[in-house]
Amino acid sequence: MAILEARGLVKRFGPVTAVDDVSFEVGEGQVIGLLGPNGAGKTTTLHMLLGLVTSDEGSVRLFGNDLAHNRLHALSQVNFAAGYVHLPGALTVEESLIVFAGMYAVRRPRERVNQLIELLDLGELRKRRIRHLSSGQQTRVQIAKALVNEPVLLVLDEPTASLDPDAGDRVRQLLLQLARETGRAMLITSHNMREVERMCDLIHFMAAGRIVATGSAAELASTYGVDDLEAVFLRVARG
Amino acid sequence: MSAAELSAVRLPPASAAARRRRVLAVVLRDFYVLRRSVPRMLEIVYWPTVELLIWGYLSVFLQARRVPAVVAVLLGGVLLWQVLFRSQSEVSMAFLEDIWSRNLLNVFVAPLTAAEYLTGVVAFGALKLIVNVALMAAVALVLYGFGLFSLGPGLVPFMALLLMMGWALAIVTIGVILRFGQSAEVIAWAMAFAFQPFAAVFYPVSVLPAAMQWIAKLVPASYVFEGMRAVLAGRALPWRTLGAAAVLDLLYVIGSLVFFWRMLAKVRANGGLSRFGE
Repeated sequence: MAILEARGLVKRFGPVTAVDDVSFEVGEGQVIGLLGPNGAGKTTTLHMLLGLVTSDEGSVRLFGNDLAHNRLHALSQVNFAAGYVHLPGALTVEESLIVFAGMYAVRRPRERVNQLIELLDLGELRKRRIRHLSSGQQTRVQIAKALVNEPVLLVLDEPTASLDPDAGDRVRQLLLQLARETGRAMLITSHNMREVERMCDLIHFMAAGRIVATGSAAELASTYGVDDLEAVFLRVARG
Repeated sequence: MSAAELSAVRLPPASAAARRRRVLAVVLRDFYVLRRSVPRMLEIVYWPTVELLIWGYLSVFLQARRVPAVVAVLLGGVLLWQVLFRSQSEVSMAFLEDIWSRNLLNVFVAPLTAAEYLTGVVAFGALKLIVNVALMAAVALVLYGFGLFSLGPGLVPFMALLLMMGWALAIVTIGVILRFGQSAEVIAWAMAFAFQPFAAVFYPVSVLPAAMQWIAKLVPASYVFEGMRAVLAGRALPWRTLGAAAVLDLLYVIGSLVFFWRMLAKVRANGGLSRFGE
């Protein structure tokens, strides 16, 4: 069963159609990539799936329920991390995770936070304030926050943006490990083609608000007659 | 993960226990921010004390020139005004903290309802206010011999009515900032002061021009401050006018919630909420 079904999503901002008839599904344990150049509509699509933006047309069903009418149940099983969203800088890592465990009504917040601190190797950072952490460390804490409710679906918007190659690689390894070990479904946007190649089972390419190509990295390369996903990206981005 | 495994991890999201936990998470977040922020801690004491010193010594000066009951009237006004101003600004600041730390989207993608969020920030604002008023009352007592409890049993309805008005203004403030973005944050400090001339904090409504008196009749706080002066002058508590203030407060709260929900729907529709992540 699909845990997420987006059907005919349309979003217009004035005269601009940011998302135009986008439909796709995410199945249990699947890692789906949403790729495309800047302004393709990826983030608007993700934000519609998370209820941050309301669609003008179409519907989002999470776990079989319409998001518009079952927001509470749907969002309790989803979580989100993005390079452009931060955690409260004044709080320590532990405090921040405790707060979000509460916001997701986790039954045993301290126990869950301890598990995450161990899983993401945050022990030494536990008592440090978020604002004093490096970008890579903050991303790890963001991912810990995104796992705090054991989400069935993890939505990641450019999770490794602004990280150096080393920190980016560590985060990718971690996400891959999580996908393999927990069978958690993920929906990822990224501008890093190698990241997407390594992580995603299926990729949707977006351009000008529409999904213009779908397939695995190898299928897409074959369809476009190029060697890799980066070349596909350039073809799509340049029309 | 099976449904049974999931329910072992999270409380059922619509249960009372889950709702309570989410509200407490907002309170806890605000507490952590306060505990780790020296400027925020100082704010609880600094501005109220400065105001109390200025107005307190002014009233002592005026009383020495035989202006009757001026100490009590001015200090009562200062103290009760703080209840209104702080209840509005504390709640607005809690929301602004989420914007300043670029955390707002994390909050809005959590299964936290707008009502739970507002309840959390209002509850923590109320806790801060209790500390704030207690400190100010102690300073007023030590420096000027003015006991806040000299207002008698009227103190409870006075404070409750001002709190309600302050929270309604805070909810409007949050709605305005949601709609117009961070550039509108100045309203968090200015909103309550826009009502101050009509609230008749330090003077009776009767000194205002006729048009302003009409506006003052629509401001719940004006009834409270008139009532305070009546009590300090030895007259009975004007329950009827306080009842009118309570009705107005109720209208303010309902209006503010309607406004807030409309603004939230608007920014979800026009993408304004997403822009808080940029």
